[in-house]
Parts: sequence; structure tokens; C-alpha cells
Amino acid sequence: MTWPATRPGAAVRSSAVGRSLPSEDSAAIVSGALEYVTDRQVDGMLHGAVHRSPHPHARIVDVDTSRAAAEPGVVAVLTASDVPFNRLGSDPHNPPVLAGDVVRQVGEAVALIAAVDFPTARRAAALVDVTYEPLPVVTGADADAPTSLHPGGNVAGTIAFESGDVEAALADSAVVVDVDTTTSAQEHVAIETPGGMAEWDLGKITVWCGSQNPGLHRRFIAQALQLPLDDVRLVSNPVGGAFGSRNDDPAPVYLALLAWSTKRPIHLHLSRTETIIAGPKRHPYRTRVRVGFDRSGSLRAIDSHAVADTGPYVTAGRNVLKTSAELSSGPYATANARFDGTVRYSNNANAGAFRGFGVPQVAFGLETAISAAAAELGLDPVDVRRRNLLRPGGRHSLYGHTVSRSLRALETLDAAAAHPWWHERDAWAAESTPGPWRRGTGIAMAMKGVGMGSGKGDTARARLIVSANGEVNIWAGPNHTGQAIATAYRQVAADTLAIDYDRIHVHVGDSELVPESGATAASRSMYAGGSAVQLVCRKLRAVLDESAVVEGSGVSFDDVAARLVATGRAEYDAEFVLPDVEDIGRIPADSLADYAPHAVYGCSTQVVRLEVNVYTGEVRLHGVVCAVDAGVAVNPGTTVGQAEGGVAQGIGFALFEEYRLDDGVPVTTSLENYLIPTAVDVPPIETILVSGHEETGPFGAKGMSEVVVVPTAPAIAAAIGTATGFWPRQLPMTPERLRAGLAALEAA
Amino acid sequence: MKVNGTPVHGYDPGARLLDVLRDHLGLRGVKEGCGVGECGSCTVLLDGDPVCSCLVFAGQADGRDVVTAEGLGTADDLSPLQRQFVDHQALQCGYCIPGVVVSAAAHLAEADHVSEDSVREALSGNLCRCTGYSKLVAAVLAAADHRDSP
Repeated sequence: MTWPATRPGAAVRSSAVGRSLPSEDSAAIVSGALEYVTDRQVDGMLHGAVHRSPHPHARIVDVDTSRAAAEPGVVAVLTASDVPFNRLGSDPHNPPVLAGDVVRQVGEAVALIAAVDFPTARRAAALVDVTYEPLPVVTGADADAPTSLHPGGNVAGTIAFESGDVEAALADSAVVVDVDTTTSAQEHVAIETPGGMAEWDLGKITVWCGSQNPGLHRRFIAQALQLPLDDVRLVSNPVGGAFGSRNDDPAPVYLALLAWSTKRPIHLHLSRTETIIAGPKRHPYRTRVRVGFDRSGSLRAIDSHAVADTGPYVTAGRNVLKTSAELSSGPYATANARFDGTVRYSNNANAGAFRGFGVPQVAFGLETAISAAAAELGLDPVDVRRRNLLRPGGRHSLYGHTVSRSLRALETLDAAAAHPWWHERDAWAAESTPGPWRRGTGIAMAMKGVGMGSGKGDTARARLIVSANGEVNIWAGPNHTGQAIATAYRQVAADTLAIDYDRIHVHVGDSELVPESGATAASRSMYAGGSAVQLVCRKLRAVLDESAVVEGSGVSFDDVAARLVATGRAEYDAEFVLPDVEDIGRIPADSLADYAPHAVYGCSTQVVRLEVNVYTGEVRLHGVVCAVDAGVAVNPGTTVGQAEGGVAQGIGFALFEEYRLDDGVPVTTSLENYLIPTAVDVPPIETILVSGHEETGPFGAKGMSEVVVVPTAPAIAAAIGTATGFWPRQLPMTPERLRAGLAALEAA
Repeated sequence: MKVNGTPVHGYDPGARLLDVLRDHLGLRGVKEGCGVGECGSCTVLLDGDPVCSCLVFAGQADGRDVVTAEGLGTADDLSPLQRQFVDHQALQCGYCIPGVVVSAAAHLAEADHVSEDSVREALSGNLCRCTGYSKLVAAVLAAADHRDSP
């Protein structure tokens, strides 16, 4: 790009947005040169380790650190009493930093070690002597609990809402389908495990760590250490994956505690096993869904009841349930909808944020019910969905709020259904060769809100400084945990400013420099962060368009930049507050944030083609078609990458990922027995970017990275049902479960 | 042993090759993702064969050639294979990618015929949680095409 001084109102040339530009750190990544937060090292740094509970629920009678502290090379052993404010958050149900009186899950941190090298730290961690008195174990959200994990009982939260009259509508529906589904605790398996480095220097602490929410982690650390917020700096870049696991990960607080206590640099890198045992999971759900249709296939009612297991403490559970409630009616329009949900405590894994955030669980129930209803009605599953879709600008079935005109539910459905795999599905199935393999094709769809929702004051910010040498630096958030979001921000900046791409530099992840912009979560980064970048660039652009700044012929941007600096007009800030819904519908105005409905939703429809071995229950995936609505894709290659990665996680959720415990004791504790998809498990994925435009988003963009996880499992289930006649209700659909289901079908 | 063509000495033969490469030699492109040979993030070439360096004692590499992602090409001078990964946007967080590139390089060096299936098989020991593998496979196939064309 050159440097055109466009006039206000003139069309700005769009040449960066819409291009598949590689991220700036790509060359460093492929050559192994990029230093991640856990790669960081300085001379003289100490190494950390964590002593963790072996019990799912026990009273701590005594903690004796004398043997650990006496180990040569050990510099510090910290326990609960060493933490100035021992809680991660302000709610009494939030987890402690270090367990003091009671442990409530296996893997809960009890003590922290700092030592001169890692082997010493690890050895000392094993020498912390804790005397436990085991307590009764709450093994699940459904179980009759033998004890209360918190003074108020084992209910962490509830949400209930009804529109219309669901019971009456179900009573006079021609067809009512009732499905009872369960979904598993899924582990994120970001390939870089938690950790990083921290330094204490002149009364300030700096922590380099993985974080999807540097502002939140900064507050956790300031609170735990009782430091002023401005004395805590968090740098979260570069980071090896997140998917929700780094939303409220305690490792940054451990790092800060150890550095603050020892006054020395400290390194910590958790093992895979302790990450799996102690880290958050996707909430396991039991969801019962009833849908009622009239004979022609019009949807009369959706009734969804969900129970979620959040583990021992409040982290994201209540908000996960809130999101389940909002998306319990999916992308469908009906006059009668009800959600009744409960999130409960247990001594299982702590469950938190995971890509999709409560939607995959309830959507599996809903889509399974819709597919079953189509079969019972003898109608095409696409036709049934198409005739009941929520329309752009329409009203949400449960809450009655207005949804954005950018909704592309119909277009994603039509795009997926137009694929030959869908309309040639019967012919393909008929070509099955003799033998155990049966062919099937399934379809499912979903929608997911973009941002934290109405009433939350969800805000992203950006800061821009023009340097005297003609460079434009922008500090923006949300930050990058693998999405190449800084590249997308740069593309937005280039087209807003209409200056050379090479002059623009975007920085993310450093709380000292990036103004508070919230979490890399809720499909909000592109939409919210991109909008803030666009706004801050417009401020500079407006100044550039003033003729006084650029007067004179042949003026270069170097000259302009120097003039801006000389005249004190080189620095700009902007914030983007995500718009609330235009009309809140049936939600009481004073409790809008309790329901936090969205105006902007992304949609995805997926078609799965597969074979099932009816003797062994094995599933062989042939391919996935993923139609997704991203509004305008700022970086199409990156957007497709997000879709492909989301589908792969959906495949794992559907077919094999299950974090299992036995009476609160983890069973699947490594990647040897907690399996995620490999390159041979994931089939070719064909992504269709449906054309759309969200008018409140940067250049028409909106978020899409979560919704793509959601339809995969119900589409696979529908394909298995079509292939075999057995319609799975339990995730993951392991060979054992499929074989058992097929055997029951044969016996019936 | 030789690492990326340079003879190295003075390491503990009982240490994991992974730790010698990372801590002794500062080759931090060799990542540890699990420590038990399941994720493939620490993959290096040992006399041309891809191995998980977390499962190899340094002493087992005595007298042998070790190549890491850093040895295939540098950020300023990428190998054709690494260039294909960049051009195909075949990475997201990137933490697994040095190991993936090493496995792919071994496959391209060994295989007479490279196909989508052979590439998926060759990468099946490298877990990637971000990409869904499609772009990784496309990048390796493009590198194979480039290699095979005159």
C-alpha cells in the first residue's frame, strides 16, 4: 500500500482485510526460534514445583514442611498460611490459592516449592508431609450427595426461564421426542502446559505466563499478594494454546507468590499429568430435552433440563450454565421454550471454561432431539430445521430479545446441505459393500453468542502511538493464544488508516501496555478487539485527513509522523463497548446481566459422512463439511484454520475424549489414556465461509471460533443413527458404547 | 554427537536428550508437551529417523547425528518445507510445529511416494490441538510436489 491522503467520505481502499496473510511470528515458529512463556529463562532463576492432594475430599490435619525445607537447594516452601489473601476471587466459593483446611479434589495445590533446580524442587514437593482425614466423596452432580462441600449445600447455581406455555404446547403436539443425553468432562490439552516465569523487581512483580485474561490474572495476583494493581504486570505472549484452560488458571498466581516470597526469578512448568489432574475441564452435563412438533413439522415447544457438574469450587460454572440457558433453544424459533438448569458441586475435576462454554452440551441434546423428531415425522432433517429457523432481526425463542440482522443460520444450513455429500447420501449408503461397515451421513447445526452478553459492559480498548520515525504502534486486546489475532488487528488497522502495512505494528498480551480489554473468550476477540483497533485508527485517520497535517506536495508519511509528534497529536486511545440487544424482550430490565443475552450470534452447520463397524462399534470418519458464518472473514485462512481446529475438537468430544474418575480419583491421567485426535483420526474437513456482514463489527466481522465445535458431535451421532438405527445419547460415542447400543437394538 | 552439524561434548549421557538439547544447547524449539512420548512436540531426527527426544538418553545419541527444527532452516533462511508451513498458514499457537516439521522432513526424505494418507500417518505421532491437521497435511503435500517437480 502507498500513502493516499483520502478525503472524508472517500472510499478507503480495502487491501489487507480479506487476505490470508500469515502471522508475523510464523517463520520463528517453524524454525523453532519462538520463545514461549515457559521457554523463558534468566541466570540465577529458581524452579518451582507444587505439592498436590492425593485425596478427592479430606480434612487437612497437619502440614509438615520440615523435611522439604531441609532438602539441600530448597529456598522456599509455601503453604496456605503464607498467602496474604488465600482465594482466587471474591466469592467464598472461589478456590483457595493453596488449600488450608480442606482439599476438595485430587490434584488441589497444598504447597509450593522454590529450589535451585527443577529435580530438587520436584523431590522437595514429594517431601511435604500432609496428614489428611478423608471425608465422604461427592462423586457426581446426579448422585445423592453424602455431604455438603460448602456451607450452603452442593448447588452452585440455578437458572430457569420459560416463554409461552411449554407443557400445554407439548400436550397438543402431534409428535413429542424426549431424549436424555450425557456429555463428558473434556480436557483442553493445550500442547504447552501451564507455567512461565516471574520476577520481583523494585517492589513490582512481572509474570510471563499463559493467560486468556491478563486483566483478571493481574487482579488475582494483586489480591493474593495484597499489592496495588499497578505493581503487577502480566505478559501473556507467546502462548501454546488455551481453548478456555487459561481463563482462570492458578499457575500465574503460584509464580507470583514464589517470586514475591523469594525475591528471585522463578520458573514453573507444570507436567502434563498434573495439568490433566488439576486443570479445568469442560463441564460434564446431563441434558434432557423434549421437543414437540405438529404433523407438518412446525416446532411447537422446546423443553430443556440440564444438570452440570462444576467440581469443587465456583469458577466459570454459573456463567457456563447461563450460556447453556440462552442457547438451549439453538437457532430455532418457537413460541414455547423452557430451560431449567442447575450447576452442582462435586469432588470431581474442577470444570471451567472450554471453547463453546456450555453450548456443546445442550446442543447435543437439542440436535439429537430434532434429528429424532425428523425421523419420527418422516421428514427430511434439513427441511425440519429450515422451516423452524430463527430469522435475522427476529426474536429469541426463550428470552424474546431481538437478534442481529447478520444472523446467517439459514445460509449455513443451505450451504452445508448443498454439498454433494448431503444430497447424495442415500446413494452413497446404498453402495455399502457386504461386511460389517455401514454407511451414514448426518447433519447438525448450532449458534453461539459473540461477546459476554448484554448488561455486562463488555469492553475492549486499543492504544495507538505514531513514532517520529513513521511507525504506527498499536497495543490492543484480547490477546493471542494461537488465533493470530494480532495479524487480524493489523489488517483492520491497515485498511482503516490506509497506510503501508509494514509501518503498522500490533502488540498484545502485556498488561503494562495494553489497556484493559477483557478475555480472549466468548468468540469476542475479532469482533471486540478488532472494533477497538478500528476506532483508534479512525481517530488518527481523521487527523491525517486534515489538510494542515499533510499539506505540501510529495509529503511522505515520515514527515507527517514527525509533524504529529511535534504537535502533540501522535497518541490515541479508543474503546469499544459491545452493544446490548436492542430490545430485551421478556427479560426483566433489572436482571439483564443475569441472563446476558446476545445480539450477535455466529452459526455453523456441519455434515458428517462416516462408516460404522457393527461388529466392533468402530467409527471411520470420511469427512466433515463445516459451513460457518464469520460475517466478513478478516483473514480467511486463519478463519478456516479456526473452523478446522474446532471440528477436530468436536470429533474428540464426540468419539473418544472422556476424563474419567473413580470415586473422585482420576483414571485418565496422561495422553496415553486420555486420547485426543491425531492426524489419522481427523478426516478431510471442507470449510465453507458463508458470506455475511455484521454491521457493528470491524469491516463486517464477527466471532466464529466457538460455534464450530458445537455441531460436530450431534452430526456424528445422526450419521451413526442413520447408518445403524442406533441413535447415541451418550458422549463420547466409544466403540464399547456403540457396540452395547447395537447389541441392545439387536436384542429388542 | 553432532547436533545440527556441530559436534557437541560435555553433556551428561544419563540426561534426556530433550534436556541436553534445550538446557545445555539452548535449542528451545524442542518442546516438552508430555514427557512420555505421546505428543511428539520434542521430535528430533536421530540419524535421520524421527524420535521423541524425551525418550532418548543423551548417551544413546553418542556418535550420531541429531537434527532439530532449528537445523532444518532458520527464520531468515527457511527450508522449502518450513516455507510451505508459513505460506499455508499451517500453524496456530505453533507449540507443536517444530516437532511436526521434523516428522514431515523425515517423511519427505524417506518416502518414495508421498500421499495424503502417508503424510497423515507420518504426522500421527505429533499431536496438534489447534489446527485439525488439514493445513499441516496440505503444507507437507505442497513441499512434496515442489520437491518432485523439476
